[in-house]
Amino acid sequence: MRRRTLFLMGLAGAAGCARDRRPRLNVFNWSNYVAPGTIPGFEREFGVHVRYAIYESNEEMLARVMSGNSGWDVVFPSNYYIRPMREYGLLAPVDQGLLPNLVNLEPEFRAPEWDPKLEHCVPYMWSGTGIAFHRSLEPAPRAWEDMWNPHWQGRMTMLDDAVEVFGAALKKLGYSLNSTRPEELGKAQQEAIEQKELLRAYINAEVTDHVVAGDVLAAQLWSTTAQQAIAASKQVDFVFPADGFLLYHDNAVILRESRRRELAHTFLNYLLRPDVAAGIVTATRTATANAAARRLLPLSIREDPKLYPPPEVMARGEWAQAATPELQRLRDRLWTEVKAA
Amino acid sequence: MKRLRRLFLAPAWAVTGVLFLTPLAIIWVYSLLSRGAYGGVIWQATAENYQRLFDPLYGMILLRTFVMASAATFFCLLLGFPLALFISRAGRRKHLYLQLVILPFWTSFLVRTYAWIFLLRDTGLINTALLSLGVIREPLPLLYNDGAVLLGLVYGYLPFVVLPLYATLERLDPALLEAAADLGARPVTAITHVIVPLCAPGFLAAGLLVFIPCLGAFLTPDLLGGGKTVLAGNLIQNQFTTARDWPFGSAVSLLLMAIVMIILLVLLRRGERLV
Amino acid sequence: MSRTGQRRTPGLLGLYAAGAYAFLHLPLAVLAVFSVNASRFTNWQGFSLEWYRATLRDTHLAEATMNSLIIATAATLAATAIGTLAAYGLWKRDAPVLSTSLYLSLVTPEIVMGISLLAFFQWIFRFLSLQLGMHTVILAHVAFSVAYVVIVVLARLRTFDASLEEAALDLGATDWQAFRHVTLPLILPGVIAAGLLAFTISFDDYVITSMVAGVDSETLPMVMYAMARRGPNPVLNAISTLIVVALGTVIVISERLREK
Repeated sequence: MRRRTLFLMGLAGAAGCARDRRPRLNVFNWSNYVAPGTIPGFEREFGVHVRYAIYESNEEMLARVMSGNSGWDVVFPSNYYIRPMREYGLLAPVDQGLLPNLVNLEPEFRAPEWDPKLEHCVPYMWSGTGIAFHRSLEPAPRAWEDMWNPHWQGRMTMLDDAVEVFGAALKKLGYSLNSTRPEELGKAQQEAIEQKELLRAYINAEVTDHVVAGDVLAAQLWSTTAQQAIAASKQVDFVFPADGFLLYHDNAVILRESRRRELAHTFLNYLLRPDVAAGIVTATRTATANAAARRLLPLSIREDPKLYPPPEVMARGEWAQAATPELQRLRDRLWTEVKAA
Repeated sequence: MKRLRRLFLAPAWAVTGVLFLTPLAIIWVYSLLSRGAYGGVIWQATAENYQRLFDPLYGMILLRTFVMASAATFFCLLLGFPLALFISRAGRRKHLYLQLVILPFWTSFLVRTYAWIFLLRDTGLINTALLSLGVIREPLPLLYNDGAVLLGLVYGYLPFVVLPLYATLERLDPALLEAAADLGARPVTAITHVIVPLCAPGFLAAGLLVFIPCLGAFLTPDLLGGGKTVLAGNLIQNQFTTARDWPFGSAVSLLLMAIVMIILLVLLRRGERLV
Repeated sequence: MSRTGQRRTPGLLGLYAAGAYAFLHLPLAVLAVFSVNASRFTNWQGFSLEWYRATLRDTHLAEATMNSLIIATAATLAATAIGTLAAYGLWKRDAPVLSTSLYLSLVTPEIVMGISLLAFFQWIFRFLSLQLGMHTVILAHVAFSVAYVVIVVLARLRTFDASLEEAALDLGATDWQAFRHVTLPLILPGVIAAGLLAFTISFDDYVITSMVAGVDSETLPMVMYAMARRGPNPVLNAISTLIVVALGTVIVISERLREK
């Protein structure tokens, strides 16, 4: 009994030591979205302690912060989550006076369509959905249509996400990726059900392993995630589909519940610094919204068309839009039917 | 004695009441409210969430869940019983063998499931071995189908069968077996005609311990089924995350609980103890 | 005749058991192999201990392991105490509502339990200015492990000879003394087994924990899940192998000691 008490005291002591007196900031971010030195650098420079944790989906993040007493200060929702979160009263206004480094952003991201005056968010990184494929594929896929190719039956995957799968189907049919029309979505659903027979799985980032191993030959995937597979194997390539694709932008926001808003602003301003942002992009192979940082990158990264598509490709992209509850419900129902089919 | 007994039960009452029954009551209230635009609930009573349950789409999903859970339970019992029998007869090594059953379950459930992916996929161990032996020419589609989900569930719940069955077998009187043998029964006959009937309560407890968690499973179908099927657990989880329809998710949860409750009541009324 | 028959069955059974153990341990073997693979992806590229070094250096993992140990220890102690007392109370005389609730909590799908607890905490916290954290995780773990403890301890009590306790009472012991000095020591193996079970369940839980965890309470399964979802990560294989090897060693040693 006594030994157990001692053990417990030891545990409590160890836990106590881990807690330090420096000011604290709690940051909840996507995985693979900072360089190994980013957070330690901030801690050293400002004498603070950062609690940094990661998530893998917007839903996961929202479920955590929705209660308004999650404890997090800074999170990174995608563009189409900004409006819902603002309407739900989760976001604190951004004080641009505390963010002199905002000038480093690309001009287009200083007035993005999801928050034109940057009142609640600071653009951070962006990516698009395309097709990661094995170079042995002949001919190489170039449009969503190719993901319905019967010759590749069982060797293709799509993302496990209604928006993405229906988006690809909508584009194949020539509609907008953000279509809200029930009849268009209904047709897209029929396409998706047909496609299901040809697919090996609906799977997200884990698919990189299958593509590298050659199990899967073509996979719907985000451009930044595909970079990891490309880095690992010369056999993997990526394309932004010719018929159009979804674009996402992840933004830094400060939660309304945060009691450390000033420090949070300091952190956002730090992330906007060209050297810091460039360091992050070099380590993570993502696409930054920071123009000044991009200029610091080596040419091979800066002009990589799989990360920063040229203007004519960009023109085919559509930013993902927030769904109304009705659309959400319709889409969920259609998606459940696809899954149950 | 009465006072002491009441005192002893009090903490359990507190925990169950506050941390189980109250949360369940909240879910019940949610199931009667309307969904909020971006998640959460609006305080507006409706029976719609329950009406939606009568949709054949969800009926299909429930049916499929039942078939899957029953199959997993059946195979768990089939595979687990001989193992439990082996352990109960292992003499001194009994504890070691028992620990070996539990050992794999100290690693994270997720990691174990991912290990199955390594084994089952086209370039995985099983296919590579079969290909190089010349047994097959094309890799078998082992991963991302209902069979893989079933395998994952059976693997995950096997110890839940072995432990209660072992406990039951331990309590059997070895004299019964000897008697059967003396009467000329062959070992297999002794097992099927003597041991299995005597273990019926153990089978029941073990089966329930597998069947019920399988009804709510959502990670295994997601990871090993490749997201191509949807079981009740996936449906519920989806309502609380992507679909952001908490009231409907609550209604489905309660339906699942109600089914579990009915099964339990039927079994308990027959005077069966779960242990 | 009966003797040869009995010997043949263990032979077949033994063969079967070997197969069953292979089935149970095959995934672990695979993990161990890939944990020493030089490549990040699962194609073999030579032997390397790189991932073990990465595992041991990872402070995030160390912290999560610490959190998991604290949570599992606290939840196990509380659940074992509460559950043992309740089992004793129920053994004396059944309390149908309580025992049904306990069984029900045992068979509630994890996802339902996690969601209902999250809803509960969010609702409570609206009135108190509290946050999700270690305490909510511990409470949740106590909630789902009490029933397991009750069942295991109750099973032990049912094999316990009640006349021993009665004898103590006849000899003038108070109810508490009889429980503390006669019954409890005799059912202690059951209590320990129950505690171990509670610890295992608590240490491995992901679904419920991930819903009620806050800023400072990330557990090992949560970190491992996040890693796994990001794509292949041999650090996961390394840490799983470490856990199994360490525990396997403990088990074998304790068996040796028991045999002696």
